Amino acid sequence: MSEGLTIPIGPQHPSLKEPVSFLITLDGEVVKKAVIELGYNHRGLEKACESRTYIQDLYIIERVCGICSHAHSYAYCRCVEELAGLQTPRRAEYIRGIVGELERLHSHLLWLGVAGHEIGFDTLFMYTWRDRERVLDLLAEIGGNRVNYGINTIGGVRRDLDENICQHILDVMDGLEEQIKYYAELANTEATLIARLAGIGILTRDDVIKYGAVGPVARAAGIMDDVRIVEPYGVFTEIKVNGVTDDHADVYGRTVVRIKEMLESIRLIRLMVKEMPDGPISVRAPRRIPTGEIIIRVEAPRGEDVHYLRSNGTDKPDRVRVRAPSEANWHGMKHMLEGFHFADVPIIIAAIDPCYSCTDRAIMLRSDKGDTVTDWESLRRTGIERYKKMGIDPSKIRMRTSGV
Amino acid sequence: MKAEETILRLKEAFPDIGDDLKSPSPLRVFTPFLEPKRFEEVLIYAKDKLDYYRGLHIVGTDEGENLGFTYLVSNADGVILAIREIVPKSNPHIRSMSDIYPAMLMHERELVDLFGAEIEGLPEGPSYPLPDGWPKGQYPMRKEWNPKYFNKMTMTYEPPEEKATDTATAANDNKDNAAKTAADEKSTAGGGASK
Amino acid sequence: MKLLQKAIAWGRKKSPWIIHFNAGACNGCDIEVVDSLTPRFDLERLGIIQEGSPRHADILVCTGAVTLQTRDRLKQIYDQMSSPKFVIAVGTCACTGGIFDGCYCVMGGIDTVIPVDAYIPGCAVRPEAIIHTVETLLDSLEKKEKKAKKESKKQKRKNKIEDNTSTLSDTALPEKDVSYETHAVAAPGSDGNVKGSEQKA
Repeated sequence: MSEGLTIPIGPQHPSLKEPVSFLITLDGEVVKKAVIELGYNHRGLEKACESRTYIQDLYIIERVCGICSHAHSYAYCRCVEELAGLQTPRRAEYIRGIVGELERLHSHLLWLGVAGHEIGFDTLFMYTWRDRERVLDLLAEIGGNRVNYGINTIGGVRRDLDENICQHILDVMDGLEEQIKYYAELANTEATLIARLAGIGILTRDDVIKYGAVGPVARAAGIMDDVRIVEPYGVFTEIKVNGVTDDHADVYGRTVVRIKEMLESIRLIRLMVKEMPDGPISVRAPRRIPTGEIIIRVEAPRGEDVHYLRSNGTDKPDRVRVRAPSEANWHGMKHMLEGFHFADVPIIIAAIDPCYSCTDRAIMLRSDKGDTVTDWESLRRTGIERYKKMGIDPSKIRMRTSGV
Repeated sequence: MKAEETILRLKEAFPDIGDDLKSPSPLRVFTPFLEPKRFEEVLIYAKDKLDYYRGLHIVGTDEGENLGFTYLVSNADGVILAIREIVPKSNPHIRSMSDIYPAMLMHERELVDLFGAEIEGLPEGPSYPLPDGWPKGQYPMRKEWNPKYFNKMTMTYEPPEEKATDTATAANDNKDNAAKTAADEKSTAGGGASK
Repeated sequence: MKLLQKAIAWGRKKSPWIIHFNAGACNGCDIEVVDSLTPRFDLERLGIIQEGSPRHADILVCTGAVTLQTRDRLKQIYDQMSSPKFVIAVGTCACTGGIFDGCYCVMGGIDTVIPVDAYIPGCAVRPEAIIHTVETLLDSLEKKEKKAKKESKKQKRKNKIEDNTSTLSDTALPEKDVSYETHAVAAPGSDGNVKGSEQKA
């Protein structure tokens, strides 16, 4: 009985920057079966959290993932604050909201660049990552570091925003908005881009619910699961978010959702800077947190991030459990890959915006004729070549140079 | 369906657990720890009758002599229902719920690896998240398992034999942690003041 | 052959190819490594290209604390690279295990598995620090090459034996039990001085 060709990809490859291993069985050139081997980034930090104090754990939780670090630390802080019965100041919530939206911007720009790279559109990669630098500069100004900004502390935020930073934020938003509107125009009108992204990696509405996909993957299938709308928290109890959904349910849909979310984030940041109230930026937190347990969820750039915390009255937590959004999206990945062309594997995997360290995964391919090893870069090139032969070559797209 | 209605409907269907249902906040409902059979009934009821269609998460906890598994499911109104199961550590046998909530599959595998749960009906697949070569019978997330005694080169767990050693190690741990906490509090205070 | 070897050495020095491996990192340092390829920092103008296959690369840029799952893969990649090869540990986690040191699935820094030539502390490391490290590493290799050439000339004069040794075009770098210089490179703008330290691997 023929099982088809299985090819190992990873755990090391240049594109994904993560130790990931997929096991893909091919029938000719179509993916018949995909098995995902996870576990490479498992560090055992939940156990580590149990033997460290709450404030020490804040630094560990922040480093669950470098790209959505604020979302994780925010959720954790909220868990501890609610258990301790603390009321964080409004100004702190606004600052947290601004940093959260800036993080969403930088994460989506990062994704757009990676997606461009996967389909052979390196100009888009360079453009978006250059734009991203401006967001990272802002984050460094606000928090002190480009990555792992550490703005959260238990009880509020560590640093305040002064007039200069606020003005700088608004200036950068103006410039970015123009660029992102251009990317939206590209996604809407550039036929090559649409042809390359549309119709692949489909996960229907029913499958999204069945496999528990979250974030842009779910929203691209028409499901409004944005936690800022479903269960408003922090600044979003005062500022309403306009949710973004799309009906394509494929990689193109996820692209459109992310671009529109970026525009929405810019609008929210402007509003938050304008409406930010005066006042203190943190309240003092006790060392010992009263007994209790709590479940908190926030909207990370990749989707819904769920944190569970149980305290036992001491200065160390009893149980910390983090379910990152990428963890939820992996299960649907099999179904997104199966039935599609081998050459589309890189962009389909990239389209869920996997944060491997949030979940850590791996891909391998096996063959019934014997093991063949190929690397991610070859697979990516296969995809680009295949589409070039069909007349679809995103690298030929001439991008407009702007004064940004 | 909001939290209060959920509690009412659960009380009607399962009167024995009705008094122990908790709603600490408007969008959260916690059941008490249930026996596996009862747990399955409540879960299936929540899915079929109360429309908690989304499988969110499973939290495994160490309850001393027992293991607790909290299944988090949610509905269209944003309510999270935490249905809880308890089994003894000596016989942590439960049935897989991944046929009802396929999204829970990965989380159930975690329970197997990290807590030593024996889950009947779990589909075949690679174990997650522990590495290949992890010694059998070692469950890191159980409270009695101490990472200090795990030899990473030989991948074996080597707990000390004398009780005296344990106390000494524990005393040292406390000292270290107290020192770290003091240092951290100083740096937190410093960080809050600076701009 | 001498000319060819010189050309190869010059090529390696002037345009090293790097391979990037995440040994269990949170991605913070990884995105900064990728960032250094983007227009603002642009490693490529220094001739540095990121390669996909270990067999084509000169420098292994490694991030993250090594987990039990990735330690074998890390060793495999290091073994697949052809000598001379260099390893840069990017980030505090790669240097010492960082905040995850002591976790049950974490071995520690990169040097628990393979020999490291340069350490860059930071969380996350700035792209400027990465570029600075690569340049410093190459300069130090150039100096070593010059020193080795001088010594070999002395030796030739002494022994009258033809010797084509050059550190960069030699087949194998010192093995684990030979001392070699490692540099702890501080990020530019920080208060720490750049220290060079001799280490016996």
